[in-house]
Amino acid sequence: MLVPFRVVFEQRGETPRRLSLLVPLSSVFAALFFGALFLIATGHSPIDTYSNMFQDGFASFNGITDTLALSTVLICTGISAAFAFQMNLYNIGGEGQLYLGLIGGAWAGIALGDHLPTLLMVPVVLLCGALAGAAWIFVPAFVRSRLGTSEIVSTLLLTYIGASLIKHVIYTPGSFFRNPNTSFPQGRLVADSASLDSFGSSRLYPTFFVALIIAVALYWVVKRTEFGYRINVIADSPKAAHYAGIHANRTTMWVMLISGALSGLAGAMLIVGPYGKIEPSIITLGYGYAGIVVAALARNNLGLIIVSGILFSGLRVGGNNLQVTTDTPIHIGVMLQGAILLFALGGEAFRRYHIHVVRVHDVSTKKVAA
Amino acid sequence: MSNTSHEVAQGPHHTSGAASTALSAHSIDKKFPGVLANDSVDFDVRAGEVHTLLGENGAGKSTLAAVLCGLYQPDAGYLMRNGKRINLSSPRAGLQHGIAMVHQHFRLVERFTVSENVILGSRDLPFRLNRRDINEKVAAVAESYGLPIDPDATVGDLSVGQRQRVEIVKALYQGAEILLLDEPTAVLVPSEVEKLFENVHAMTAAGKSIVFISHKLGEVVEISDRVTVLRNGRVTGHVSGRGTADTKELARLMVGRDIELNAQRASHATGHEVLQIRNLSLSVNDVSMLSDISFSVHAGEMVGIAGVAGNGQRELADTIAGLISPTSGSVTISGSMTTDRGPIQAREVGLAYVPEDRLGMGLVPSMSILDNLLLTRDRQIVVDRVSVRPEAARLIEQFEIKANGPDHLARKLSGGNAQKVLLARELSGGRGATKLLVVCSPTRGLDVGAIETVRRLLNDARSAGQAILLISEDLDEVLSLSDRVLVLYRGAVVHETPGETAKLSQVGAAMAGLANEGRS
Repeated sequence: MLVPFRVVFEQRGETPRRLSLLVPLSSVFAALFFGALFLIATGHSPIDTYSNMFQDGFASFNGITDTLALSTVLICTGISAAFAFQMNLYNIGGEGQLYLGLIGGAWAGIALGDHLPTLLMVPVVLLCGALAGAAWIFVPAFVRSRLGTSEIVSTLLLTYIGASLIKHVIYTPGSFFRNPNTSFPQGRLVADSASLDSFGSSRLYPTFFVALIIAVALYWVVKRTEFGYRINVIADSPKAAHYAGIHANRTTMWVMLISGALSGLAGAMLIVGPYGKIEPSIITLGYGYAGIVVAALARNNLGLIIVSGILFSGLRVGGNNLQVTTDTPIHIGVMLQGAILLFALGGEAFRRYHIHVVRVHDVSTKKVAA
Repeated sequence: MSNTSHEVAQGPHHTSGAASTALSAHSIDKKFPGVLANDSVDFDVRAGEVHTLLGENGAGKSTLAAVLCGLYQPDAGYLMRNGKRINLSSPRAGLQHGIAMVHQHFRLVERFTVSENVILGSRDLPFRLNRRDINEKVAAVAESYGLPIDPDATVGDLSVGQRQRVEIVKALYQGAEILLLDEPTAVLVPSEVEKLFENVHAMTAAGKSIVFISHKLGEVVEISDRVTVLRNGRVTGHVSGRGTADTKELARLMVGRDIELNAQRASHATGHEVLQIRNLSLSVNDVSMLSDISFSVHAGEMVGIAGVAGNGQRELADTIAGLISPTSGSVTISGSMTTDRGPIQAREVGLAYVPEDRLGMGLVPSMSILDNLLLTRDRQIVVDRVSVRPEAARLIEQFEIKANGPDHLARKLSGGNAQKVLLARELSGGRGATKLLVVCSPTRGLDVGAIETVRRLLNDARSAGQAILLISEDLDEVLSLSDRVLVLYRGAVVHETPGETAKLSQVGAAMAGLANEGRS
């Protein structure tokens, strides 16, 4: 026995209430502390950096409106991920479904032209984006529900095809989605009727409220409806579902299609909101992947997605602005986001286990006479 | 009672005995959150004997075994091996002292061959394995205890009985002197049990010690030299002498009071036919699970299905409940054919089904009692919980369920209370009024109070005119409750007898597959 101590993980029967709040909070502080070490090592003041980040993310008009604008997308991709995850369906291809939402939305916005009034046009664009996202997940959903093929692999791989598709429709000369008036490859703008105005001087669009409504509505669906009841039964014990005559296949299919539609919707929201066209740089932003992070931070609880979506967006906006307002490299911001996620997820261990250190009493030295 | 155990562990008759104590445990305490699984337990096993740990589920048998083999460290107390105090920090440490456990759920790699599994975990293997050498050694070990096994066979292809043999050979190969067998017969068919007992005798004859863990009285009496009975984590008594132990006495020690094994069956006039099964057969992957079963259950009648686990009971129940489609034959409930129609149709014509697997099949663990009541009912598009809440509260009171209310989560219920929730839901009717109740192992793992409640509820349901099919491995339960007893063996009904005149020996013989060869 070299080490006289042993760390014991004891599973908790029940998580104490206070820990549900204490653990996430201390995780964030631990992450900030961890980040501070790096800031000091690279010659930056942690206090200045953090107060700048907070200022740019939450505490200024531009900061908070940018944060909410970003959260519009991240809440959508967040519920897309969480909605599937809660049924143990790991749709990690929200990124690809978002690209398709962009394409679907742009198609409706361009093809339908100015024939429809804005009040009708915008919902049609959003619907087309959602349908395109659902279509992109249809094959993974079908083979998952019928054959049990891993949706993790199939949805992820389709993301790469989705990225190529975005490049294809923008970089191919004469493409329907490409702006015909410039030689520089750019997306073609959608009709005016398919574009919303942002609030005042901000970059926040009314779609933010659509995202909020959808989050609340889905929360209600899961908690109160027969469909949500089924999801809960299947998620917890497929055998109980079988016993009760609940068809898991059909529910699996629907949950995955809805998940895909939500990511597609996020893409279409970019069309009616800030972009107004297919912006090829979307494939570098990772909004779909960020949805997975948002879902993980909310522990797949649809009620918490709004909170985690706004928090994560704030971090991202604040982190991105660091480079503009100070000379801190953008990577510090990205690293801090990663650290917070890592610590938040690691903190789960404290919620689930009672961790304590015990002294190992060495009895081999005290031999008892027979 | 702890006095008695003290004497046995260290008494004078013991040291003067022919065989010496191989392993002993002294005042072992082991605590889990909320449970004292072992409460100053003393235990010892001598070389060349079979010492049984007997107790109900949750009595602390498996915990003690885990302490004995080094899987758990006791909170208090200590172990002695051949008179020397030892400290087992892991199962590997246990193995170094010659102590090995054969787990109830085997720990074998299915893709590996027998000898690959046997040598798995050995630390002194050469870099380059000489398969022929190893195979010879494995075969030699197996042969010497009458455990013939092909070292080159892939474990995935072996039967359950053969896999158990591999586990035992592995323990012996690793040099075990003391083998802990955790409920070894639970997964075996009767002929395999017989074979296992022969192997056990061969091992004890060679001076090995066997700690046999079980809750089945009959086999315990047959195999044990000594029996230690546990209840609620404490030793409640000892019995010694092979074949001489009195099952009634053992049952009393195990349960804590006199057990009336005789029938409390009230006789009724039975009514019309509720369940009719005709020529039911089921094959899964070309393996026959049920073959040509025909019987019926009438209103106000309880029909018991006896049999060793794994003889088709679960498949029969699932087929009646509409969860499995039979290969051929028909199931008719209240005059409606329900074969191939699914569980919802079966329920609509009056089926209620209490599966063997309570938490995870019958109940959804993460859901509340209220939501679990809704599981087998007709639900609206928006689930109406408000109107079900008073009923849930009423059922909790009526069935004496210990819970904080309708929102209490199913997984936080004790086994007995979970079973009561399940029965409350199934008996109170869902999609249609309950006419047929299929119950599987309704009292397994429950404490005595809950067992009595559950049996009373079943009797009440029968008195109310429901037809009941009781499927249980607990032969005493089947015999004491049922109006008629059918014995299922390898998927076929091999014996049928009225409950009142059923003979334990006859039914037991039929369960062992000896129905055609007369009485044992």
